[in-house]
Amino acid sequence: MGDMVKGNIAVAEAAVRAGIIVYAGYPITPSTEVMEYLSTRMEDLGREFIQAESELAAINMVMGVSACGKRVLTASSGPGISLKQEGISYMAQMEYPAVILNVVRWGNGLGSLDGSQTDYHRETRGGGNGDYRNIILCPSTVQESVDLMYEAFDIAEKYRCIVEVMTDSGLGQMMEPCEYPEFRELTKCDWGLDGTYKVKRGDFLGRNIPGESETYMKKVRAMRENEQRWEMYGEEDAEYIFVAYGMPGRVMSGLVRTMRQQGEKVGILRPITVWPFPEKAFEEMKEKNPNLKGFITVETNGEGQMVDDVALYAKKYGMGTLPVYALPYVCGVPKDDVVAADFAKVKAGEIKEVY
Amino acid sequence: MRELVFAGFGGQGVLTAGLVVSQIALYKGFNATWMPAYGAAMRGGTANCTVKYGDGPVYNPGQQKPDLVLAMNTPSYKKFVNLVRPGGIILVNADMMTEEGNARSDIQEIKVHCNQLADQVKNPKGANIVMIGAITKILGDFTHDEGVEGMNDMFRKKGKSKFEALNVAAFQAGYEAV
Repeated sequence: MGDMVKGNIAVAEAAVRAGIIVYAGYPITPSTEVMEYLSTRMEDLGREFIQAESELAAINMVMGVSACGKRVLTASSGPGISLKQEGISYMAQMEYPAVILNVVRWGNGLGSLDGSQTDYHRETRGGGNGDYRNIILCPSTVQESVDLMYEAFDIAEKYRCIVEVMTDSGLGQMMEPCEYPEFRELTKCDWGLDGTYKVKRGDFLGRNIPGESETYMKKVRAMRENEQRWEMYGEEDAEYIFVAYGMPGRVMSGLVRTMRQQGEKVGILRPITVWPFPEKAFEEMKEKNPNLKGFITVETNGEGQMVDDVALYAKKYGMGTLPVYALPYVCGVPKDDVVAADFAKVKAGEIKEVY
Repeated sequence: MRELVFAGFGGQGVLTAGLVVSQIALYKGFNATWMPAYGAAMRGGTANCTVKYGDGPVYNPGQQKPDLVLAMNTPSYKKFVNLVRPGGIILVNADMMTEEGNARSDIQEIKVHCNQLADQVKNPKGANIVMIGAITKILGDFTHDEGVEGMNDMFRKKGKSKFEALNVAAFQAGYEAV
């Protein structure tokens, strides 16, 4: 087992080992340790580290590196990712792959520094203007942050899409032992620009938009089909399935085990991708378990955001009549005893379903 | 699963103390997590971290019902004394405690003059290390030698082995004080 490592540092090192040639970003708590670490790490390896003058500049630098077919990372938190949306939308349009780390902090506007899941809706729906989706990977431990960050670049290049690793203040700041993967060789995608003029200039007004849209949708469908990831436990005999990702995901993975030892018929679905949402897990649950009584999301935001997706996919797979509850704890790390007490309220009918 | 909270003013080394204990836990072969309080913590303000360790995975790294709270000053004592689980322990820096204490009868309160002890072993910045020695003895989760070796291992990897003798002396002083 490795030594204690801070989540932000571990995830930055994973990106280095995955072969980023450039990091460009603008600091913001609680993601700043990523930059701090890379400011020396990248230089030591003879790679580029750029503290940009703004988030907007940073994402355009990312776009430039990506256009050359090289691996590149930027990191920020909610407010900074908001500023980057223009670039993200443009990159989606041009099919430039990149990996973005969002160490989510609570809130609207400036928000606060507390770990939270308030960015769920934005991240799962693309974020900027347009009709695209990014793959959103949600680790729940430091080791999983490393593993997903390392793999994120492969996924991004496979689909030529943006992959976001979404953590939060808690996972970014906490320490846990982890092991690092091997260094990858620095690679260049064969479509990357190399200074020669080989791409025919497009005709902005003469485009076939339905055809163009279909090329994106084909990609979205492939990502949805191939990239769903999740972890499930207790789903075969549970009456209530908790659905939780990230920090609440790890909390519920433990609490469900404790509750089952106490005789509660509960299970957990922990989405690892929140887009594509792991709808295949719902298909499985429907097949395996005729005794389900409801779904309960555990989230750190105000009223639940993922609860919408849980209701949609419950409906899609023939479980639309089951109640879907949200236990939202706004920010921080949900406490086992509080969640257990709220679960008792759900069973007693004191907490009403959202859907 | 053990839960410990390390609390004090920024600069008293409580975050480091928590990290050392979590590293000792790893050294012993446990799983461990370390989680700092985030938000209003700043230099001169209060700082705290939660450390959990045990045989199985640590699912919930957050602050819940600590078995032991280290309170390095009065504000930390006041803030955390009611968080300790019944039957748990609050370990108090007697040199920085301006109040009488003994706020609860259902927990054990242990006072250690860690600043004085650190001074005595000529390691005035090592009051936090003194308390690591005390915690090692009080909880008994690691032996004396595991504690010392785990601590030294961590500082060696950070390139700070030149303080090893001083740290061991501080650890020893705390170990013997309880």
